[in-house]
Amino acid sequence: MTAIIQTEKLTKSYGEHRGIVDVDLEVAETEVFGFLGPNGAGKTTTIRTILDLIRPTSGRALVFGIESTSDPVAIHRRIGYIPGEFSLYDRLTGGQTIDYFANLRGGVDRTYQQSLIERFDVDPTRKFKEYSKGNKQKIGLVIALQHRPELLILDEPTSGLDPLVQQSFYALVREASAEGRTVFLSSHILSEVERTCDRVAIIRDGLLVKVDSVEGLRDLAHHQVELRFTETVPVDAFRGLAGVSDVTVEDHILRMRVSGPITPVVQVAARYDLLDFVSREPSLEETFLAQYGDQQPTLAVPA
Amino acid sequence: MTAAVGAVRPSASRWSRIYGLGTVYAKTLRDSRLAILIVSGLVAGTFLSSAVAFGKAYSTAVSRQELQSLVNSLPPVMAGIYGNPFPGAIDTLGGAIAWKGGGSLALIAALWSVFALAGTLAGEVRRGSLEFVATTPLGMRRIAIEKLAAHVTGMAIVVVIIALCGVVSSAAFASLPGDEIPLQAAVGFALWLGVMALASGSVAFVLGPLVGRGGAAAVGGAVLLGGYFLNGYQAAVPAFAPLANLTWWGWTAHHQPLTGNPDWLSLVPVAVVAVVLFVIGIEAFARRDLGSTGRIPWPSIPRGLLGLSGPASRSLGERLPLAVGWGIGIGLFAFVLGAAAKSFGQSISQLAPDVMSVFKSIFPTIDLTGAGGFLELTFVTFGFILAGFAASTLVNGWASDETGGRLETLLSTPLSRVRWALSAGLGLFGAIAVLTALLALGVGVGSAITGGDVLTPILGTLVIGAYAAALAGIGMAVGGVISTSFAGEAVAAIVIATFMLDLLVPALSLPDWVRQVALTAHLGQPMLGTWDPFGIAACAVLAIGGLLIGAWGMARRDVAR
Repeated sequence: MTAIIQTEKLTKSYGEHRGIVDVDLEVAETEVFGFLGPNGAGKTTTIRTILDLIRPTSGRALVFGIESTSDPVAIHRRIGYIPGEFSLYDRLTGGQTIDYFANLRGGVDRTYQQSLIERFDVDPTRKFKEYSKGNKQKIGLVIALQHRPELLILDEPTSGLDPLVQQSFYALVREASAEGRTVFLSSHILSEVERTCDRVAIIRDGLLVKVDSVEGLRDLAHHQVELRFTETVPVDAFRGLAGVSDVTVEDHILRMRVSGPITPVVQVAARYDLLDFVSREPSLEETFLAQYGDQQPTLAVPA
Repeated sequence: MTAAVGAVRPSASRWSRIYGLGTVYAKTLRDSRLAILIVSGLVAGTFLSSAVAFGKAYSTAVSRQELQSLVNSLPPVMAGIYGNPFPGAIDTLGGAIAWKGGGSLALIAALWSVFALAGTLAGEVRRGSLEFVATTPLGMRRIAIEKLAAHVTGMAIVVVIIALCGVVSSAAFASLPGDEIPLQAAVGFALWLGVMALASGSVAFVLGPLVGRGGAAAVGGAVLLGGYFLNGYQAAVPAFAPLANLTWWGWTAHHQPLTGNPDWLSLVPVAVVAVVLFVIGIEAFARRDLGSTGRIPWPSIPRGLLGLSGPASRSLGERLPLAVGWGIGIGLFAFVLGAAAKSFGQSISQLAPDVMSVFKSIFPTIDLTGAGGFLELTFVTFGFILAGFAASTLVNGWASDETGGRLETLLSTPLSRVRWALSAGLGLFGAIAVLTALLALGVGVGSAITGGDVLTPILGTLVIGAYAAALAGIGMAVGGVISTSFAGEAVAAIVIATFMLDLLVPALSLPDWVRQVALTAHLGQPMLGTWDPFGIAACAVLAIGGLLIGAWGMARRDVAR
């Protein structure tokens, strides 16, 4: 398969501050590629370097086979991008803002543009500065999607969106993929990446530490389960279950970490009198730290 | 666990307090420290340089008498050119400083007060940081009072420095009897300056929560400058006198402590106005919804002028309201002066022949009876300063594509950095053209009322436009090569430096080449049709060269977020 995005030892330093170091990525055509990492890990720096908004200290990035620093306009012509943080023209309405970016690109299908506005349920007649954070994000998404780009680069695109609009967005990502377009989605929300992506890269402290399929990542995921019993805690009944680890007892409360399906734990718990059953999906950071602890990240080998 | 209600807040550490992080008051004062330093430096420099210049140029009784005769022979319009319509005791150190520098000193302090107090609450609302401050256990009134108190403290520092300058000048530069400036006189002058500045700032403060930072600064600035010019020219243009007496400039026109003629009572109503407006401002801030500001009614820009078709037209469309605002403001100023030239011409024609010959010797190339001559004398210097500040704000707007976070989205389209820089720069030049056209309109209509040659002063406005374009070019070069975050400030710094050169070079008897460093020294007498080709060429090179260098710089550096 053709690589739509390819980075080779991509490095960006900000003097004393860390940027990214030797990032090697390859995103294939039609792929929905997730780019995961905690805040400040280097996701946005990677994206901005790929787009030639900032220049690499060393290494290089190729998009559509074009080196990002050699002809960025040729790349930009074929992409749609929503930055992680952005601002647009306060005095223009949402509709005028969308029109302006359509004019900058040219050839935008106005019917499709209108359909996006309707799907995101955004009022295009209001001034941009009057929008809520979520509505500003919707305008950004319409701008990124309206010209049906070959490659979508989305930096935390669901930030500020309500759950219903998030569903619309996920559907659009699936449609884009079905139409043979490629999506590069940066996020720190594990479930979002699981839901939308084919493959995932994890970045931490500027280093790419894992590139794998979503299934592979799912192995990293676990649940933190807490059971509150009316009587003595039957700790031995749970210790031997598949995927259960880190079992601790405190008074009538049993805590454990469950990797993989949670069904065996539920079945065993159902045999006892329970006051409470709490299962919590940990954040990416917790998942990540559970997997890698405090050890220094090491470079990943792409799967 | 929940904290006990009414629990005592742990006090801030000593280091926190020293760094200005202990209270809203201290934080605001900390944020103002650079402005306090700049304003103090400007007013102290202006005051002391005036004293040095006077001491050097008029060290004998004979020279003092000649100066007194000359100023007495000036028509009112010339005597009021520095903002003081009733000069007195010109032959003393204090009198000369009060006449020539007093108005400028108050203007500098008042402009700072207007901009600072317009933004002290509204600016923080805009940034969003006020949401955090307002959700601490501090009440809204307390926040407003602490912020205001910090500005008043800053102004008090400026007042003390001015008073010290008076005392130092007296001790160092007094050379003849009558030059002494008693402490009471120095304090009287400094207090006047502080009260005038705070009264002007109070207008912006009261409007800030209602119409936002820009609107408050615009109205506050208009009230300040309008009062200054009405007062300065009230003796020359009788129609101005009733209006001047409505302003605090007019109320305190006879308070001249540096000449030994204080009018302490005249300061009281100014102080009362300031206090009343401050109280209203605090209450308005406390009672209104946080961040909910109205707008000064301003017609919406028609869609066709928004410039949605491309980056150059968008840049022009985005800058248009500001350019129109500046154009109307400066144009109105020029219109008033152009129209007032008739009155000036009449008073000139009534001068005694010997006084007329003195004038001819001072202004040999200027026809003092025409609108062009009057505008050259009274408007051009201010016109350059105002056009320079307009260029600074327009460059700030140009820079906001990057500083405001839009550029990243713009450059993700098929718009190269170079094309963005060139297009946005052309849009900026277009905005300066609009400003210049409105200025030309004001000059033209004002001159037409006076009669005589109208075309020459209209064409002269092109030189002011070229100067603004040159400054914009410098701003774009700075923004492109170094950073857009201080491109506008760089332009403002050049405007202030040029003003200081004009002021200090003659005052300190510096070599003439120092004065020649300023671009304004090479722009001829535009209102009289005397164009300096070198200066015009320099403007063109700076404007176009700056645009190209800016584009080159943008192509080379990282885009800021």
